[in-house]
Amino acid sequence: MRKVIYIGLVIVLCWFAEDCARAAELRVPQNAVAGQPLSIGISGSGTLYLVGPGQVIKKEFKSGGSVEIKGEELRSAGRWIAAIRGDANQSQVFWVKPGKPRKLNFLARPSRVPVAHPNVISGVAFIFDQYQNLILDPTPVNFNLSVGGAGSTKTVTSREGVAWISSASAPKAGAAQFVASVGDTSVTRVVQQVAADPCERSFRMHVAGHTAQNTIVETDPIRDCSGNPVPDGTIVTFIQTDKTGKSTVDARIKKDIARAELPASDNATITVAAGVVLGNELHVGGRQ
Amino acid sequence: MKLVRILILAAGASLVISGAVPLLQRIFADSKPAVQLNVKNAKPREVEDVTQSAIVRDYTLAWQAISTALANNTLQPLNDNFAGFALDKFTQRVKEQKQNGLTTRIIDHGHKVDAIFYSPDGAAIELKDTASIETQVLDGGTVIHSDQAQIQYYAVMTGAEDRWKVRVLESAAQ
Repeated sequence: MRKVIYIGLVIVLCWFAEDCARAAELRVPQNAVAGQPLSIGISGSGTLYLVGPGQVIKKEFKSGGSVEIKGEELRSAGRWIAAIRGDANQSQVFWVKPGKPRKLNFLARPSRVPVAHPNVISGVAFIFDQYQNLILDPTPVNFNLSVGGAGSTKTVTSREGVAWISSASAPKAGAAQFVASVGDTSVTRVVQQVAADPCERSFRMHVAGHTAQNTIVETDPIRDCSGNPVPDGTIVTFIQTDKTGKSTVDARIKKDIARAELPASDNATITVAAGVVLGNELHVGGRQ
Repeated sequence: MKLVRILILAAGASLVISGAVPLLQRIFADSKPAVQLNVKNAKPREVEDVTQSAIVRDYTLAWQAISTALANNTLQPLNDNFAGFALDKFTQRVKEQKQNGLTTRIIDHGHKVDAIFYSPDGAAIELKDTASIETQVLDGGTVIHSDQAQIQYYAVMTGAEDRWKVRVLESAAQ
């Protein structure tokens, strides 16, 4: 009976020793970083498989030691599987962290925006390393929005790979440069800031002349409330009402001014509007 | 005697059920992973109901596509559900698997997903997913690795023509 127990214990011990020996056959590093070389300790001979999120590496190895993986071979961050087949069969999971920030995916919206509006421009930046791995560690991102040299900068620390801001449009019209940058990497987007609606206070028209058949009316230079000229091509509607009825002319702004020829009348009222903004009212004919 | 018969029948039936239930669960898991989406923590924009349903549908399809693509080394399922960096990476993985004679079998036991960022313009959404996944890597017919784990994934999805596509899918140590 003692002999049987002894043999049993020896078997268990051998089993345990073999298990320990196997455990030592594959050693993967715990702090691997994408783009940096990696050394995997292996004993014996066989085939090493490295299966990562975006790649597979298969290498034959002989006489153990270690298998060196070049930095450019290790591109994907995330969960990797290392497995060996040969003298021993074993596998382990290890993690690869993303490298340093090198790329930004920058979404700036909208591409065209009226001036002087609060929280109307949004910038969203996703931060990646050179191998397109999302960097989840907090990273400061600078956002700069400027028109004609004047602008503002804000630094936002990313959270779980993303940093974002919401910004007001500047009071000055023009092509705003919206830049997101991390370290040496920057991405620029252009946000066209256009004049807002005409300013009701200064949206005025006057009679510019007469022909035999028509009365010519034109507006003063049309500007928004920040003083930016409303873009050429914006439609301005002139409406003349007299005893014969209503005449409507849609004219486009050209060089800041809209102009229309309306049928001559001895007593008419003319109104002007651009979108929802109304200008002044004119009375032509008997009493102006 | 009758009692013995009933007992044998009951034992047989319970054996069949105990075998069939996990099998059915596995089949079900293979065909359509269960995705539970929580949008309460999404910032800065609130996720609309329609978007929620679309995200659940399309994220489910994306995982189904991963399983199919990695098991069969085919690219078509990826093209339908992925874009950008995620598409590049999985395409590369499938190509390299094929080159090396490997396949990966994924048995998906479900995803608990939190929407953590929804862009102000509604064009992009970031998800944090705790996935219960069983993975088997095969070289030919030989299993070279097998494990079951809870893995945390970060996914960025953007609106495409008729669906949301996964642009980034990255696992991270918990």
